[in-house]
Amino acid sequence: MYLKNTITKTIQKPFQPLKVVVAFAFLTACGGGGGSDAPPTAPVVVSPTPDPVPELDHSGLTPLEASVIDNAEYLSGGDATLFVTNEDAFSTRAEAITDDFTLDGNFTSGDHIFRTPHEGAGPLLNTSNCQGCHLNDGRGVLPKSINEPFTSMLVKIGDNSGAPDPIYGDQLQTFAEQSFSTSDFNSGWPSYNGSINGDVLVGEAYTYIEFEEISGSYPDGSSYSLRNPIYKTKNLSFGDFTADIRFSPRVAPQVFGVGLLEAIPEAYILALADDNDTDNDGISGRASMVTDAITNGSRLGRFAYKAQNPSVLQQVAGAYRGDIGITSSIFIEEPCTNAQVACITVAERESKVADQADISDLELAQVEFYNRVLGVPARRGFDSVNAQWDTDIAAGRQAFFETGCIGCHTPRHITEEAAGSVLGEISFSGLEENAAPIKMLSNQTIFPYTDLLLHDMGGSCEVTRETAGEQSCSSGEECMYVQRCEGLADGLTQGMASGTEWKTPALWGIGLVQTVNADATFLHDGRARTIEEAVLWHGGEAQNSLTAFKQLNSGQRSQVLAFIESL
Amino acid sequence: MKKSSISLALLLALSLTACVDDGEDGVQGVDGSDGTSGTDGVDGVSSFVTRTDVITSNANIAYAAYADSLISAQTMRDVLVTFISNPSEANFSNAKQAWLAAREPYGQTEVYRFREGPIDALLADGTIGEDGEGPEGRINAWPLGEAIIDYVAVVVDGNSGPESAANALSGNVIANTADYPTINAETIQNVFEFGEDERNVTLGYHAVEFLLWGQDLNEDLSGSGTRDSSGGQRPVTDYSVTVGTCTSGDVAVTDDICTRRGQYLLAAANVLIADLATVVEAWEPNAGVHYTAFVSGGDESLAKIMEGMGRLSYGELAGERINIALKTDSQEDEHSCFSDNTHRDIFLNAKGVQNSFNASYTRIDGEQIEGASIYDLLVVEGEHELANSLRASLEATMSAAAVIDTKAKTGTPFDVLIQEGINQPNVVAVIDALVDQTDYIEQAIVALGITANDLRQDTEEDIGS
Repeated sequence: MYLKNTITKTIQKPFQPLKVVVAFAFLTACGGGGGSDAPPTAPVVVSPTPDPVPELDHSGLTPLEASVIDNAEYLSGGDATLFVTNEDAFSTRAEAITDDFTLDGNFTSGDHIFRTPHEGAGPLLNTSNCQGCHLNDGRGVLPKSINEPFTSMLVKIGDNSGAPDPIYGDQLQTFAEQSFSTSDFNSGWPSYNGSINGDVLVGEAYTYIEFEEISGSYPDGSSYSLRNPIYKTKNLSFGDFTADIRFSPRVAPQVFGVGLLEAIPEAYILALADDNDTDNDGISGRASMVTDAITNGSRLGRFAYKAQNPSVLQQVAGAYRGDIGITSSIFIEEPCTNAQVACITVAERESKVADQADISDLELAQVEFYNRVLGVPARRGFDSVNAQWDTDIAAGRQAFFETGCIGCHTPRHITEEAAGSVLGEISFSGLEENAAPIKMLSNQTIFPYTDLLLHDMGGSCEVTRETAGEQSCSSGEECMYVQRCEGLADGLTQGMASGTEWKTPALWGIGLVQTVNADATFLHDGRARTIEEAVLWHGGEAQNSLTAFKQLNSGQRSQVLAFIESL
Repeated sequence: MKKSSISLALLLALSLTACVDDGEDGVQGVDGSDGTSGTDGVDGVSSFVTRTDVITSNANIAYAAYADSLISAQTMRDVLVTFISNPSEANFSNAKQAWLAAREPYGQTEVYRFREGPIDALLADGTIGEDGEGPEGRINAWPLGEAIIDYVAVVVDGNSGPESAANALSGNVIANTADYPTINAETIQNVFEFGEDERNVTLGYHAVEFLLWGQDLNEDLSGSGTRDSSGGQRPVTDYSVTVGTCTSGDVAVTDDICTRRGQYLLAAANVLIADLATVVEAWEPNAGVHYTAFVSGGDESLAKIMEGMGRLSYGELAGERINIALKTDSQEDEHSCFSDNTHRDIFLNAKGVQNSFNASYTRIDGEQIEGASIYDLLVVEGEHELANSLRASLEATMSAAAVIDTKAKTGTPFDVLIQEGINQPNVVAVIDALVDQTDYIEQAIVALGITANDLRQDTEEDIGS
C-alpha cells in the first residue's frame, strides 16, 4: 500500500452507486435555514413516481443528476467563460471585458503590473512579480534538479501549533532582493548563517525535493507509480528554526475564476458544511472562518490551499507582501520579523519606507480587478452546434458523481452581485469612491467543482535533522531539516485548517494546466505528474471515493479522467 | 490634398451611380444610390458613403501602413548590413536613423490591433485564429528580455529579468558560445518566450533597438543615477571588426563577440521582415486572407475598426503605455526605452487612431491616401455633432501628443517627463485627451448601432436549450 488509511472515524456505510441522491437529500436537510422544512429523507433508491416537490441543492437549484448533463455546464464560468484552448487559456480577458473600453483598460493595466517586477520588491522574496510564480497565469513548477532553488513554489512554515517561527515568520523567502534587482541571480541565494551579522542579507533558507517512487496497483491488476516528496531544507541564513518546525511546500496555483468564487454567497457555502459528518457519508467539510484584514470581521476563507484568505484583494495583498516583499496599505509591514536585523536594515534603504506602501492602492486595485475577471475556459468535449457531449466524458461524469467525488468537488454554484473593489473604482488618475459591481461576475451559474471547504485528506508528517547522508544530527551547517510525510498531509496548522486538512481546490480548467505550462504538475506541492496520480493521492475523507474509483475497470477510469480533463 | 487615391470601392460606387450628388458643391442633391430617391447631401458632404466604403478604405490604408513598415524594415536591414561590414560612427548613426524611420509607419499600424486582425491573430499556416495567436509579440513585444540577448548592467533603472527566475538562461545568447555556437534566425526564435515566459522577448523592433542603443544607463552610467536626455550609450566598438578592439560596453572582449552581435542584429532584422511580410500579405487588397474577409464583413468589420480605435486609445496607449510608466515612474515601463523614442510611439499610435477616423494616411514616400471616413459616415447618418466632437477630440489628443513630442526633441524625453516634479502635466494631458476621445468613440459605436455585443454570435446561443 502506498498510503495508510488514516481516517480517524469509522466509515460504516459501504460505497453505493446511488450515493449522490443520498448526499443531496442530506444536504438539503442540513441546509436548515434555507427554508426547506422537509425532514431528513431516508435513502431512497428508486422512486416510482416523481416527487411533487423537487429537492433543492445548497444554492436552491434543482440538483444536478449523474446521468443528465445540463448543457449550461459547457459555460463553466457563465458570462466569464472564454473559448481559448491554447497556452493563453488562463490569461485571456472575457468578451465582457473587451467589449467595454474602460474594463479592457483596467484589465490591461492590471495585467502589466501582474507580470512586471515592481520597485521596492524584497528585502526577502520568493520572486519579483506575480507571473514569476503563476507562469502564464497558470501553475508554478518544481525545480528541475536539487541544484535549482524554488522559483515558482514556496514553503510555508510554523511550529506544532501553527504559530510562526520567531525568526523566520510564516514563510521561507528563498531570495534576497539582489537576486532580482541586479543581473546576478545567484547573489541573493541563502547561505548558512549568511544573514546573522546584520548588514548582509541573503535568502532565508534553501529547500529542495527528493522523491521516492511508491508503486501500487488497481484491483484489476494494472499498476501505477506515485512519487512521494521528501523536503530537505538547508543553508539557514538566520540560524536554526524553532523546535517542532513544520514545512508546507506549495506550488503557485492557477489564478483565473477567483472573482466568481468570491461572489458565491457565503451562506450557500456554509450550507454545504457538515463539521461532524452528521449525514454519516464519511465526508465532513468545515468552513474556514478567517479574519478579514480590511474589516477585521470574521468571514469565510476561500483562497489559498488552506482557505486562509477571504477575498481576492487580501490574497493579492498578502502575496505581494509575503512572496514579493511589496508592502501595501493592507499589509504595510515589510516581510521581516523583528529578529531579522539584516532584513530590516535593507528595507530601510528602499525608496518607500515605514508607512509608505511600495504599491499604491490604485495599482493594487488594478491587479485585484485583473485577477477577478480572468476568464474561465469553456468545457471541452461539447459540440455546441449540435448540443452533444462526448460520450466518454458523459460516462466519466456519471462515474465521477456516483463515486462520490462531488461530495467535496461540488459541481455547481451561483453567484450573487459581485461588489466593486473596496479600494474604489479605478480611473487613470486614481481611485474614486463607490466602485460599481462587476456585472460579468454577478448572478452567474458556474461550475467550479469545489465546495471551498476544508477536508481531512489523511496522512501524517515527521521532521528530523539529518545530514545529506541521512545521518542524524542536531546542529551545524551540514545538519538539514528533513520532512517526510505519508499521504497528503503537510503537518502545518493554518488558521482553522489542521495539518491534514486542505481546501477543496476548484477543478475547472484543470485539463488545460499542462497546455498553459507544459512543465506544470498537480496537487498543492506539484507531486502528481498527471491527473490520475492526483486522484490516487486522495485519502482521508476521500478514501471511499478513491476506493470506488480504483474498483472501476480501466475503461471506466479513463472515462473519469477524460471527464476531469474536460473541465 | 489629392483625391486621386480615394478608395477603390468608393470610386466604383460613384461610377455606377452617375447621378449621385458628390456633395462637394455644398448644394443639396436629390439623387441617391438607385438614381432616383436618396438622402440629400448636406453642407459639402456626400450623401453617399456606405459602411462598406468606410471598411474598404480602412483596409486599404491598413495595407499601405503595413507595406510601409515592411519597406522601411527592409531599408533598415540594408543599412544594418553596411554598418556591420563597416562599423564607422557614421554608419552607426545611419543604422539608428534607419530604425527610427522604420518605427514611423509601424507606430501608425497599432490601431489595427485588438480586432482579430492579422497582427494579433494570423497563424503560421496563413489562416486567421484568435487574438493572441498572431505575430505581434514577435514584432513589437516589450519590455525586452535584454539580459538573455546581450550583456546588461549590474543595476538598471527597472528590471530586465524574466518573469520567472526559472526561465533565466545561463548567460546571454551573444556571449554563450557553448550553448549557442551559431547565431541565426532559428537560434533567436528558439529562445523567444523561452519557458512560456512573456518577458523573454528576443525578437522584434526592440531587439534591434537594444542592439543598436544598449541600455539607457542615465547620466552617470550607473543605471540608477539621474535620468538624462539621451538613450542608451552602446559604443560603436561593440561591433568592431578590427582585430583586438571588440568591446561589450566598456569591457574588452574577444573578437567573436562583436561578430556574433552583428549576426544577432541581422537575424533580428530578418525575422522582423519575415513576420511583417506575413501581415502585409494577409492585408493585400483583393488577395489577402484577411483583406477579403474584412471588406465583406459588414457591420462586424465596422465594429472592429471602432474597437481597435477604442482599445488602443484607452487600455493600451493611455493605460499601459503612458499611465503605467507615469504611475510607476519606471524606465523599464516605457515603450522604446533604449532609444528614448517613446514620444514617437505615443504620437504615432494616436496618429493611427486619427488616421482610422479620417481615412487618411501619408505614406513614407509622401503619397497622401484619402478615403471614405468614419467622419463622413457619421455625417451621412445624421450624427453631425458627434462627428465633429470626435474629430475635435482626436485633434486635441494630437496636439497634446505633439507637446511631449516637442519636449523630447528639445531635450526632455519621456523618461524624464514622467518623473515626479518634472513635466508630468504634459503626460497627464495626453492621457486625459485619450480618455475623452475614447468616450466619443463609444458614443459613435452606439450611434452607428454596432455595439459589439449585438454583432457577435455568442457561443451561448449555439447551445440547445
